Parts: sequence; structure tokens; C-alpha cells
Amino acid sequence: MISARAILSRSASLLACLGLLGIWQIGALILNTESFPTALEALRAIPSILGDKEALINILASLRRMAVGFALALVVSIPLGLMMGRSRAIASFFNPLLMIIYPVPKAALMPIIMLWLGVGDIAKTLVIFLGVSLPVIYHSFQGARAVEEKMLWSGAAMGLSALQRMIRIVLPAALPEILTGCRTGLVLALITMITSEMIARQSGAGNILFNALDMGQYDTVFAMIIIVGAMGIGLDAAFENLRGRLVRWSEPRFDIPLSFS
Amino acid sequence: MNARALTSQVLLGIAPIALLIGLWQAIDSLGYAPLSLLPPPGLVFARLVQQLFTGAFQQEIGVTLLRLFAGFSIAVILGVGIGLAAAASPSVNALVRPIVRVLAPLPKVALYPALLLLLGFGHASKVTLVAADALFPILLSTYYGASMVEQKLVWSAMAAGTPPRQVLFKVVLPAAVPSILTGCRIGLVISCIVVFLAEMITSSDGLGHLLVTAARTFQAVDMFVPLITISLLGLILNALLQAVRSYLLRGFPEV
Repeated sequence: MISARAILSRSASLLACLGLLGIWQIGALILNTESFPTALEALRAIPSILGDKEALINILASLRRMAVGFALALVVSIPLGLMMGRSRAIASFFNPLLMIIYPVPKAALMPIIMLWLGVGDIAKTLVIFLGVSLPVIYHSFQGARAVEEKMLWSGAAMGLSALQRMIRIVLPAALPEILTGCRTGLVLALITMITSEMIARQSGAGNILFNALDMGQYDTVFAMIIIVGAMGIGLDAAFENLRGRLVRWSEPRFDIPLSFS
Repeated sequence: MNARALTSQVLLGIAPIALLIGLWQAIDSLGYAPLSLLPPPGLVFARLVQQLFTGAFQQEIGVTLLRLFAGFSIAVILGVGIGLAAAASPSVNALVRPIVRVLAPLPKVALYPALLLLLGFGHASKVTLVAADALFPILLSTYYGASMVEQKLVWSAMAAGTPPRQVLFKVVLPAAVPSILTGCRIGLVISCIVVFLAEMITSSDGLGHLLVTAARTFQAVDMFVPLITISLLGLILNALLQAVRSYLLRGFPEV
């Protein structure tokens, strides 16, 4: 059953979107320059982009790379984070390395990786993989570290092996925290995808943005911004919905994670 | 923890970094990769040290730092201000919450072309992008910190006759400082990353621009140098903020 509050909070987000578009519309009307189209003009340009077969293929290819990079990062990062959370030796082995990697701009590796692996899908997927990994590792680590010791002792007393304890006790107990990491990672995957495409300028959604900018098709630029923004908000909302179903028993500490960038 | 355990932990931590650099050197020494694509670590670090002492390179660092701090400062002022206001006033909260909910997961880098069109190719567009990206972690952590202040503290202050406006600055703000500083740390590293990326996408100066220029001329060594420099800057700024944090929070129970 949907409570009245939930309806209100959902319509509040919608109202906020409409409000922001309204401010944009008024701002553009006041400035009245060619390089800043109104919100309506930008919205009107969206169907022509989505109707253009080549642009659509480009955007879908971007999304496919993003999904592959994200999925690979989860497969590697969650087990690593969980093991770091349960073993002090593994944690002190990886922590300094991760601390050094943390401030490296992942999308900026694009030119170097392209030099090695070419301009194909592998380079782009690898960059997304790198961008997603750190927050997922960090949150899995935090989640696994906070697991109640008594549950692990009981599990061991009942004859569970180390691997079984990891899968049947640590994984479910850390799941809320892991999913918070995944949520941040999902938005970061989109950000890394767009940024690396803007830097590499080969194909994809980021490239369409800058090509339109170069050719002076300003309404296309702003329409693409709306599309990318909607992707971010949509993916985040969809994941939040999934998270709510998976870990209904756990109240989220914060409803918006801090580590978006 | 005793000194011996600490030493072994440090050694364990250095091991993967040493392994990685060793592997890097080995790939070059054994001839698996041409030196033009993967310059050996010694060469890269020598080039880094040499560049750090040249005026031109220092100037690029200066430009990047200027943009970074300008954007970060705007983000701190706006983030702490809006965050406190949203925690203190229900009507501000009702207005800010849905807007933040929409804007926080929006990939801010997608706004960059729009900022270029509106603000030009100079400092303003990059500073705005940095501020937009660093704003949300700071705003959210300020808000969460300020709204979790123990209610008894607020009541005691009011009972002692503190006017509501002063309660905000004398009780709520100091109690929220640990959380605000956590947000600032995230925001600072994000600022480092974003300023570099913005300079890579379009710029005529700064560290990010150096990487792009090197990439166009296939100078692999010069591609690594700015990347390592910005990462070192991130680590140094992070450590400085950590020092500020432990100074500011010297009276707090757990830091």
C-alpha cells in the first residue's frame, strides 16, 4: 500500500523537476541569447535525437558498455570488500593501495588506456569498471566490518565453514551497505561514461553533446543534457526502488548517499 | 596495537604498491610493452621531479589550484549555508529536499557544455562545474550532521536563555562540525578530479590540458606526469584537511 506521504514525496520530486524547468524557461526568456535556448525548445528537440537512428545506436552502445563495466565491477568489488571487512590482514594489504588510487581521476585515464587498448569497447568499459569499483569496495568493506561477531560465532559453532559464513551471514548482514555502494557506483558509472566519451570524442552520448556544441546546434546540446540528466535520475530512482524491495527490513540511514559526484 | 604489529601492517600495505611498480618495471624490462607506450617508472618519476621545478609547470599547477579552490570555497559556503538552513527550518527543508533529490544523482559533467555556452571558455565555467559537483556531499553531510544534533543540547541551551538564532550557531553548528568536515573531504577530492576533467575536456591551460596535449603528440611520459601530479595534490590536500580536522575536533570523543 502506498502511503499518502510517499505520494507527496514522489510528487514533490516531480514538482521540483517542473520548477527547475520553469526557472530555466524564465531565465532563457530573460537572457534571450541564441546560445541559451528555452526549456521548451530543448524539450522539443528530444524526439528528433531519439528518432535519429545513429544517435540512438550510439546512446544504446554507451549504455551497454556502462552496464558491462558496472556488472564486472560488482563481481570483483563486492567479494573483495567483504573479505577486507572480515580479515584485518587483507584490509591492511589493500587499504594503502586503494587510498592512493582514490584521488586519481578515472576518466582521465582514458587517453592512456586508449593508447594501450585502442579506441574500442574494451578501453571504455575498463574506465567505467575503474570508476565504479572504489565506492563499492568501500561500502562492502564498511558493511562487512560492522557484522555482529556473535552471529559469526554462532554460525561457526553450528559448523558453518568460513565460506558458508561469508555467504550466509556476512553477505546478507552487509547487504544494505553494499547496496548503498552500488547506488553510488551506478551514478558514477554514468558520470564516468559521459566524461570519458567527452574526453575521447569517439562515439557515445558524451560525443553527441560536444559535436552538437561544435556545430552550434544549441537546442540539441540542451536536449542531450536533459536526456543524460533523466538517465541519471531514472537509474537512481529505479535502483532505489530495487533496494527498497531487497532490504525492506533495513531502514536506510540517509535517503541520499553522500558520495555522488 | 604494539609497535611490531604496526610495522608489519605498514609493510603489508606497502607490498601491493611495490608489487605494482615492480610489475610495471618488469613489463618494460622484459620487453612486453614498447617503451613509447609504457615508459618505465624511473623515467616517469624523474620527469615528474624535473617538471616540478620548472616555472611553466608550476604555473599550470597554480591555474588548476586556483580553479579548484575557487570552486571548492563556493561549494563549502553554499553547502554549509543551505544544509544548516534546511536542518533549522521546516519550510526551507520542504523546498530544498525535493530539489536536492533531483539534482544530486544528475551527472553534473553533462551540464558542462551548457556552462561553456553561458559562461564562456574561461575560469567561470570550470569553477562553476567544480562548485556544482562538490556542493552536494557538503550540503548533505551538513544537513545530516545538523539534524542529528542531540535534542537535549538544544533544549538546555534554550532553557539557559539562548535565543533560537544563536542556538543554531552556538550549539547546532559546532555539533555538526565532524559531519561537515567529512563532507568537505569528499567534496575536496571530487573538486580535484572534476577540475582536472574539465581542463581535459576544453581548456588552454592547467594540468588537465597538459595531459591532452601530451596525448595528441603521443608523449606517454608527459601523459603520466600531470595525472600523477593531480593525484598527489589530492592526497596532500586530503592530508591537510585531515590535520585541520584533528585540530578542530581535539575535544570530540571519537574522530
